[in-house]
Amino acid sequence: MSDMGYENKQVRETAKLLHDEFQKLHDKKAILRSPRLSALYGHLKTLPAGEMRAAFGKEVNKLKADLEALVKKNNAVIIPLTPIDVTAPFDINLSPEQRPDLMTSKESSIHPLTREIEVILDIFGRMGFEAVESREIDDDYHMFGSLNFPLDHPARDDYDTFVTDEGLIAPAHTSTMQNRVLKERVNQLKKGKAIRAVIPGRVFRNEDLDARHEHTFYQLEGVYVDEGINAGHLIATLKVFLEEYYGQKLKVKTQPFYFPFTEPSFEFALSCPFCKGEGCHICSQSGWIELLGCGMIHPNVLKAGGVNPQKYTGFAWGGGIDRLVMMKYGVEDVRHFHSGNLKFLRQFS
Amino acid sequence: MKVSISWIRDINSRYQSSADPMPGGIDELVERIGSQLGAVDELIDLGKKYKGIVVAKIISCEKHPNADKLSICLIDDGGVVKGVSRNKQGLVQVVCGASNVRAALLVAWIPPGVVVPSTFDNDPLVLERREIRGIASNGMLASPKELGLGDNQEGILIIDEQLKPGSLFAGALGLDDYIIDIENKMFTHRPDLFGMLGIARELAGIQGHVFRSPAWYRHNTKLPNSNSRDTHPLRIDNQISKLVPRFMAAVLKDVKIKPSPNWLATRLAAVGVKPINNIVDLTNYFMLETGQPLHAYDYDKLKALNPKSKHVSLGIRMSKHGESLSLIGKKEIALQKGGIVITAGNIAVGLGGVMGGSSTEVDNNTKNVVLECATFDMNTTRKTAMSYGLYTDAATRFTKGQSPLQNTAVLAKVVEEAGRQAGGRLSGKIHDDNHLSPSVVKSGSLHSPVKVAPDFINSRLGLQLLGSQIEKLLLNVEFKIIKDGNGLVVTAPFWRTDIEIPEDIVEEVGRLYGYDHLPLVLPQRDTTPAVKNQKIMFKYRLRNLLASAGGNEVLTYSFVKEALLKGAYQDPKDAYHVRNALSPDLQYYRPSLVPSLLEKVHLNIKSGFDRFLLFELGVCHVKAVIDSEGLPTQLNRLSVVTSSGQKDLSAPYYHARQMVEYLAERLNINKIEFRPLTPGLKLSKQWEITAAAYEPYRFAAVVAEDAIVGLVGEPCISLRQLLKLPTATAMLELDIDILHQKSSTSSYKPLNKYPETSQDICLRTDIDMSFEKINKVVSDETSKLGSKYAYQWGLKPLDIFHKKGDSLHKQITWRVSLVHNDRTLTTGETNKFIDELAKEVHVKIGATKV
Repeated sequence: MSDMGYENKQVRETAKLLHDEFQKLHDKKAILRSPRLSALYGHLKTLPAGEMRAAFGKEVNKLKADLEALVKKNNAVIIPLTPIDVTAPFDINLSPEQRPDLMTSKESSIHPLTREIEVILDIFGRMGFEAVESREIDDDYHMFGSLNFPLDHPARDDYDTFVTDEGLIAPAHTSTMQNRVLKERVNQLKKGKAIRAVIPGRVFRNEDLDARHEHTFYQLEGVYVDEGINAGHLIATLKVFLEEYYGQKLKVKTQPFYFPFTEPSFEFALSCPFCKGEGCHICSQSGWIELLGCGMIHPNVLKAGGVNPQKYTGFAWGGGIDRLVMMKYGVEDVRHFHSGNLKFLRQFS
Repeated sequence: MKVSISWIRDINSRYQSSADPMPGGIDELVERIGSQLGAVDELIDLGKKYKGIVVAKIISCEKHPNADKLSICLIDDGGVVKGVSRNKQGLVQVVCGASNVRAALLVAWIPPGVVVPSTFDNDPLVLERREIRGIASNGMLASPKELGLGDNQEGILIIDEQLKPGSLFAGALGLDDYIIDIENKMFTHRPDLFGMLGIARELAGIQGHVFRSPAWYRHNTKLPNSNSRDTHPLRIDNQISKLVPRFMAAVLKDVKIKPSPNWLATRLAAVGVKPINNIVDLTNYFMLETGQPLHAYDYDKLKALNPKSKHVSLGIRMSKHGESLSLIGKKEIALQKGGIVITAGNIAVGLGGVMGGSSTEVDNNTKNVVLECATFDMNTTRKTAMSYGLYTDAATRFTKGQSPLQNTAVLAKVVEEAGRQAGGRLSGKIHDDNHLSPSVVKSGSLHSPVKVAPDFINSRLGLQLLGSQIEKLLLNVEFKIIKDGNGLVVTAPFWRTDIEIPEDIVEEVGRLYGYDHLPLVLPQRDTTPAVKNQKIMFKYRLRNLLASAGGNEVLTYSFVKEALLKGAYQDPKDAYHVRNALSPDLQYYRPSLVPSLLEKVHLNIKSGFDRFLLFELGVCHVKAVIDSEGLPTQLNRLSVVTSSGQKDLSAPYYHARQMVEYLAERLNINKIEFRPLTPGLKLSKQWEITAAAYEPYRFAAVVAEDAIVGLVGEPCISLRQLLKLPTATAMLELDIDILHQKSSTSSYKPLNKYPETSQDICLRTDIDMSFEKINKVVSDETSKLGSKYAYQWGLKPLDIFHKKGDSLHKQITWRVSLVHNDRTLTTGETNKFIDELAKEVHVKIGATKV
């Protein structure tokens, strides 16, 4: 293309500009969509019919064909990268100014979900809960069996889980860690030290994506087992956490619910902290936000964890973190979280 | 579960079961249901839909002069509707096209300005006064379909109840009702709450009222006797009694099939069930009332399937592959194994627990019917409903595990009502194929009595209820209680399937008492601090370090597509494959993090971000890498990708390498090496698959004390093409746990009292010799000399230079800094040190000082 070989001056000049443009493009194919090229075709249409127009048309078509060939050539030819000395601290023949330097923290960001988990774990840490991370792949026993879900039980309907060829499960709730948390701490319990743990983690549901639904999201599970723990303790504990989290007094309420792993089970709601319960778009004008599921740990779950349900009782809860963050910042689309889009991420310092 | 308040009220008054369910009005009731029964999805004020419709009497009915099929009616509405034109007698003229219209009928009149109920929810149609073929018509006389009460539009609805013209239609037919839709999920373990009777009981219970079930339901052991001969013999052949523990059936002969009376049709329609005919409607009615699904077959159609047999034989067996069945509504399904089918002879006529077949359904010509009242296994019903996508009302109920102890009562009641509504008589006895355990039959309860002490209940709820209070709450909903010392022996009524252990009684008492009355007290705890999770703390530290270096934290999915694995030269066989992936994009658990991050580069370059550093802390899994539990090891990884749209002079590798050095320094990992991945360096499975994504000869293993911490380098060409990566892209992936192990806290050396002197040394070496090799010699020799002279020393590479024209050599410059503890070093001493160093290095590797 260096030679160009175009008769028409206008085509020749455009070809040169396009050539420069081509060098700068990442997506080389984009050159074919350059406004410079379409301008030539636009000009062609304005010419009176006749020999001149035909000649000009021929030239423009040739330019287009040349560009196409160039794109093709550029994609096909892979320039192998030369070996470098990876043991060297910097590249050869570069002055210190030409070497890469660390970026500044000016435009850095921490993901709002991991940041929020940090905030939440901090509060629970102060309340005496240790943190345990969840798994991203687990077996049926931990996801269902140890949680009092009989095989083929309809209660499993509410958990559309992803399953691998081997029958391993992408956990649909952080409760998948409950059995482990109990087993690992049953000895401390016997020595009179309560089990208090929160479990943050990534969970998965076989659910189509839209602005409000994600197949991948974050949950926080909590477990408290000791002698004499009751349902009033559960509600009071969640209430003080939420009041600390939102920095205001809140009203809370429970609705009876069904989970196989707790008895009794509740859905837990708090008065909307954004409108003080008056009704706003965040709480759909109801004044209440349903936030999490909770209940007293089923004796079968305690037993599976090696804990004697005659002597000890406990409560557990689980709730989504994504929604907390969406409400807190007014994030309109849950898909932003995993988009990797810097326009989104850089808003969270 | 759609609950009709009229229906509940009707049960309470008809059977003297309980007090008014909503003494404080509808809003209070809905709130109470929310806090003590389950989440309310929706409250529907059905009366609104019928607002303005009145009962009218047709006084005269004459042929329309200009249309054969139309009639002109004069109707009497008692004068209640305002603003409508009337004749001298006060009658209103309406043109009607129904064939069954005639004088003296009581009908539903929709006056002008009123919405047609069938259009209420979508695009409401408001009637107007208009001329029909030249005759003025005021509104319409409505058909059941127009009233949203079924499909019948052949004629107008005829009101057979004794009503005064001008009565409000909704009130007259029980349609001034509230429908409360309660979330089904709440009732997963409560099959009894899929019937109005169960809901009525529960509504009484949560308001502290006594509830008594109707006598026909409570005393459920008596079967009606047949006075007539068994002219229509039936046999039951149950081959799967484990899955169908009870199968009851009755034959009713000489039934007259017709539309149901209005009260019945409107009751069904109010909760969204379409009225069909009197027999089918009765089976639905009692399903809705008790939660027990029923099915009606046409006896003669069953018989016709096996004409040679003297009797009808209903079989119950597992479905076979290759069978087919035409369901009600004429949907054909090819049966698979594993479901329950009902057969006539050996021909499948119904999908047990889910849906009946069309070949034996009751229609207008049916004379004799078989009524089935059976109990199907919940798990099998669930699987069947799921595999055919048939989430019918019956399946919804059976999947909750209906009690097999109510079948007699329900079937006996339906037989009785069918006699009244359809004139059918029982042929022979009622059949009861019963496989329940004798102890269950004897006790009349599905589970053994539960012994529980009030203290146990109080300790779990944080309450101080008296034994008598607890008893009252349970007796209100018909539990049986015997006192035993301090404890209560509680027997659940026969419809309760969920009361097995003391905790179930705790739930019952807590809910009936009201969880919103529990005292909110925090648990007592000692002042021992909670254990800090060091792994999580370490991740916080990494996150902050990366953000300090300008990083942007991203989260990417744990699942990747096959094309990405292949692009990274990662064998899909080494990654866990998700068999029910949402889309091909999410088919594999990722075996390393880097490709997921690289996937996010192009979109950001395209949106105009010039230079950035993305990082993620995540986990990945590699097949054959198994942890102590025998499960896939959670490989905790930190991955970083740097990219720039601009061309850089430096190879991108050094950007990423610099990040590793930065992290190592900040984490106080002292000895870190970058080893080229020559064939000599054998990698473990998890690093081998991670390494595949890197460009050969342009990446290195990060090694600390002989342990691989991770990899750093540039993406392979196929990834660069697949993901349209700019040339200036590099990446690293480190194992967080190993990084954590190798990191240490800051160490401190006292500051020097004497100034440091420094001098540069430039050595020319063979171009192919690696920097590391030369550097090691220089460093070792500096160290030896340092010991010899008792100098503290420092060494820093400054420059690597390749002189144009000299293709055989390169020159490397270091700055050597020296300090002595007791005095200031002279220039002579420094020069001597450098000269000796140069000499030693020359001896070792032939490098010459420039």
